Amino acid sequence: MYKNKVVIVTGSSRGVGLEITKHFLSNNAIVIGLSKGSASHKHSNYYHFSVDLGKSDEINSCFKKIAKQFEKIDIVINNAAVMTSQYSMIMPTKNAIDMVNVNLLGVFFVSREAAKLMRNKSPGRIINIGSMAASLEPAGDSIYAACKAGISTLANVMAKEFSIYNITCNTLAITAIDTDMLRQHSETGQTKIHQIINNLPIPRYASADDILNVIDFFASEKSSYISAQTIYLGGIN
Amino acid sequence: MDKEKILKIVINQIEQVIETLPDNQKFKVNEDTALFGPGSNIDSLSLVSIIVDLEMLFSNEHNIEISLTDDRAMARNESPFSSVKSLVDYITELTNEK
Repeated sequence: MYKNKVVIVTGSSRGVGLEITKHFLSNNAIVIGLSKGSASHKHSNYYHFSVDLGKSDEINSCFKKIAKQFEKIDIVINNAAVMTSQYSMIMPTKNAIDMVNVNLLGVFFVSREAAKLMRNKSPGRIINIGSMAASLEPAGDSIYAACKAGISTLANVMAKEFSIYNITCNTLAITAIDTDMLRQHSETGQTKIHQIINNLPIPRYASADDILNVIDFFASEKSSYISAQTIYLGGIN
Repeated sequence: MDKEKILKIVINQIEQVIETLPDNQKFKVNEDTALFGPGSNIDSLSLVSIIVDLEMLFSNEHNIEISLTDDRAMARNESPFSSVKSLVDYITELTNEK
């Protein structure tokens, strides 16, 4: 399905990013994974770049290397995110700044640099991984929810700026998926997420296929007229 | 890199953008051509393309890293993008520092 397509996935080492990476690799894409740590898997079509996505200079430097190594970029999946759930009054300042740097500014810088490489090539696709938090606005997730709402807006504005280059920009707002990352939350955190999931119109966790289905839709060459859209999973709007 | 060579590179880059315009919007480019503001025939998104193309060209073909849109560029009394000449002057200044 994605033969000869070059796909960038941020946060490719674990969780949803790993599922997305495996999906593209199993469909014959070349995947460039960006994450802070080292590669968590090996594949002949997988190329890993260690980069702190909260630092613009590291992102810019990484894209200079990517530009020299790859002729084009077709698809970008902005998936990487960090999360601290804490009431606003007691949220540590550093954690708040880290979330803005990675979850919002990181998406901006990756999209910007990728768009420069996508221009005048085959149709480009920028897909941001948003969150149900942007709509549900749960207590304790003020900065996280604001960043996830922010990346929808980023995509919408970039959709206007990049349309002349045949680049579409969309957001997939996912619900929680049952991964190792979810189990890393505290017991209280897991209980809170479980309660949120139970109150969704479709009260279940997302499966990887739920997410990949929408990514395939946004990434399809047939979706050239779909841009500046946010799709929520689980019946959220 | 000398100014004459930079002028040729910049004009060549702008001419590539002009090539994409409809015939009735094409125009000749020289040192005095306005890039931004009143009197400019170049729309803002085309100017963005020219800037990005120039940054990438200097990096890829001349191995010179320049940033045309950082704080320094924005803080100048005369915008580097007011004319071809001001852009060439700014790029010359940047490349001479490398």
